[in-house]
Amino acid sequence: MSQEDALKWFAELFGLPAAGLSPETTRAQIPTWDSLGVLTLMAALDETFNLVVNDADMRSMQKVGDVLDLLRKHGKLA
Amino acid sequence: MRFILVDEILEMQPGRTVLGSKFISPDEDYFRDHFPGFPVVPGVLLTEMMAQTAGKCLDAENPARGKSMLARITTASFRDWVRPGQTALIYGEVRTSRPQFATAVCRIDVGNRTVCSAELFFSFILMDTVAPGYRAEVLERFLAKSLPNPAATGPSP
Repeated sequence: MSQEDALKWFAELFGLPAAGLSPETTRAQIPTWDSLGVLTLMAALDETFNLVVNDADMRSMQKVGDVLDLLRKHGKLA
Repeated sequence: MRFILVDEILEMQPGRTVLGSKFISPDEDYFRDHFPGFPVVPGVLLTEMMAQTAGKCLDAENPARGKSMLARITTASFRDWVRPGQTALIYGEVRTSRPQFATAVCRIDVGNRTVCSAELFFSFILMDTVAPGYRAEVLERFLAKSLPNPAATGPSP
């Protein structure tokens, strides 16, 4: 998956327009990245990429780039 | 008004599949308004039936995880009316079950027809969040019926 595809996936997950979303977009800038959003993201990583992420790792993600880094680290992102 | 929308668990593999039932009594108070002359079970109650049934399947899997709570209705479709006097058979299949969340696909059949279906997302709350005397009556009844009686199956003296 390319970074562009990953950003589209992330935008769709959180109900955002893909345009304007970048690795630097912070969690604070995404209203739907709330407590339910955290669980939604965990479930999507699990179901889409087969990545089981623990609570501590999820809490450490504060911007979109952190999610991309996780995907990259596990070989899911080119 | 009680809010137990599953009469009985008929079958269950904890954390995997569940089948529950609910008789739709003509005496339900909501039929007075939904709708006069055309009583049908509201879709939100059908959704809650599916959530309660699947939730019991999750609660039975790992009680230490806490109590399952419906966090999101990912999808829901309603294909036919459910009328007074009918019995709803409520099916749930857990798709993902993790310490923090779970997902399930559910449906309700009336007769041989599927009347609604949903994909549901659950989170969990600690058991000490609810009142100390809280008991999941329907689940307890099923477990008491289905689990072997230790006195009957234990080793002979």
